[in-house]
Amino acid sequence: METMVEKILGRKIGRKVSPGELIAVQVDLVFAHDGTMPLAIQQMEKHLGTRKVFDSEKVVAICDHAVPPPSERVANVHKFVREFAKENGIKIYENGDGVCHQIIAENYSAPWKVIIGADSHSCTHGALGAFATGMGSTDVAAIMAYGMTWLRVPESIKIELTGELPRRVLSKDVFLTLLGILGADGATYQTLEFLGEGIKAMSVGERMTLTNMAIEAGAKTGICEADEKVREFLRENGRENEFQPLHPDVSAYYKDEIILESERIEPMVACPHKVDNVKSVSEVEGLEIDVVCLGSCTNGRIEDLRVAAEILKGKKVHQEVRFIVYPASRKVLMRAYEEGIIDVFLSAGASIGVPGCGFCIGRVVAVGDGERVLSTQNRNFLGRMGNNKAEIYLSSPATAAASAITGKITDPREV
Amino acid sequence: MEIEGIVLRVFPRDTNTDEIISGKYKYDELDLEKLAVHTFEAIDEKFYEDAKRTENPILVARENFGCGSSREQAPQVLKACGIKCIIADSFARIFYRNAFNIGLPLIECPGFSAEPGDRVLVDLKKGKVVNLMKDMTYEFKPIPMFIRKILDAGGLLEYLKREGGFKV
Repeated sequence: METMVEKILGRKIGRKVSPGELIAVQVDLVFAHDGTMPLAIQQMEKHLGTRKVFDSEKVVAICDHAVPPPSERVANVHKFVREFAKENGIKIYENGDGVCHQIIAENYSAPWKVIIGADSHSCTHGALGAFATGMGSTDVAAIMAYGMTWLRVPESIKIELTGELPRRVLSKDVFLTLLGILGADGATYQTLEFLGEGIKAMSVGERMTLTNMAIEAGAKTGICEADEKVREFLRENGRENEFQPLHPDVSAYYKDEIILESERIEPMVACPHKVDNVKSVSEVEGLEIDVVCLGSCTNGRIEDLRVAAEILKGKKVHQEVRFIVYPASRKVLMRAYEEGIIDVFLSAGASIGVPGCGFCIGRVVAVGDGERVLSTQNRNFLGRMGNNKAEIYLSSPATAAASAITGKITDPREV
Repeated sequence: MEIEGIVLRVFPRDTNTDEIISGKYKYDELDLEKLAVHTFEAIDEKFYEDAKRTENPILVARENFGCGSSREQAPQVLKACGIKCIIADSFARIFYRNAFNIGLPLIECPGFSAEPGDRVLVDLKKGKVVNLMKDMTYEFKPIPMFIRKILDAGGLLEYLKREGGFKV
């Protein structure tokens, strides 16, 4: 009786698998970005004496972490990746196309696929019912050359969300609540399987926030069922033919089970400098902030921008706050534009960045000494945004938007 | 395989890869030796200098060492600093793979106790680590055979070249 991940890996190698065993599997898609692809290429060249990928259809490169390049050195790094893509005939997504995870979700992810990305948040793709995990450049170099990788079949933890979330409480708040329970290493080497009525009610975009952050609890991946919501997402992206349902067996074995009662979830923040240093917004309410960031692979999707725009409509960002928005992809940006969301943000006083990783890693947006940031990203490590004298708080898009108006951490249910 | 060296630092739990090497450098510098100068810069300014001055430096850490980003630059710069192995209560998963993939051994030994300056001896095969200074011996679960083969080959790609593919 199998979990979703056991089913995918079992089908892949043609026999039943059990947690703890090491297996070699074929990879359906491997991707890397401007921060990890260069080292992968160097490793291929240095150790294997080749730059040739095993299958040009199954390797994707993305320039998203430092775009547009803020220096000539970075521009040269991009050039290095571009040349590799060209000589192999692999698809490269360019400056402004978006964050790798959003691009891969829109164009490649599908249920039952095994997807490996050279980025820790590659677990995001579990929201579509794929087995997806992050690895380093050498692992990715091996996959680019051989088309395979090794895995330890993970144990699974069942996370059940009982029902629909209250108004302005979002999937980000669910995960931050969970992080408070599990801690930053509570799920190391394991999978988080997100189940229950509360997950069923979420769009794929909302689910992606949960699976994206699975790594923050140390998990190998997070995964959701492939249901009608996944079919709908694939249809919207012109790939409905790639839909296949995926559900765990009723009697699947889970190492642990956590039940989250949806009506009890409230707006949450992660306080500096650890992701599991979580508190409810009510505990830190009123704390003044200098910068508010909306976007990233965690919360830069159309659902996130919509929630924020609904709160900001007709209002102004506090005069002492900089509000920065980075849509997760070109597609998200275009849709937000069509829906009038960008107009709301610009009228409120926001600055809109080029779709990509933007502020999250301190490469194209920096913050000053002693400044306090409230961001919808997934990590608040010391120095994460390029300055180790700054403080980063993590929140949902609703809390971010409400706080941008007041200039202090604010409960979105109260504006 | 035995490793003998000096404990250079003892890191607290959840030491992350952003702390090991900041994201603000890794896009600019493809030369790992040059990148290594910034290792632990934000929290430990003298790390690089001290590592280079120490003979066979070894790191000790508590739980979840190397959590966060998948950046392989993290174990790469530690290796470039001359670190011979890391002994921790536990490691984050991607860091664990990345380190062995580039031939940097990690020892998961919950409860191992040492202070900077202690001389330690690690026996990877027997699963034993001795703090020679305190005359204390600790046992750890030996590294799985497949991962030891990767280590013996000098890293994942060298292993694959030798074996002609994955033989798990």
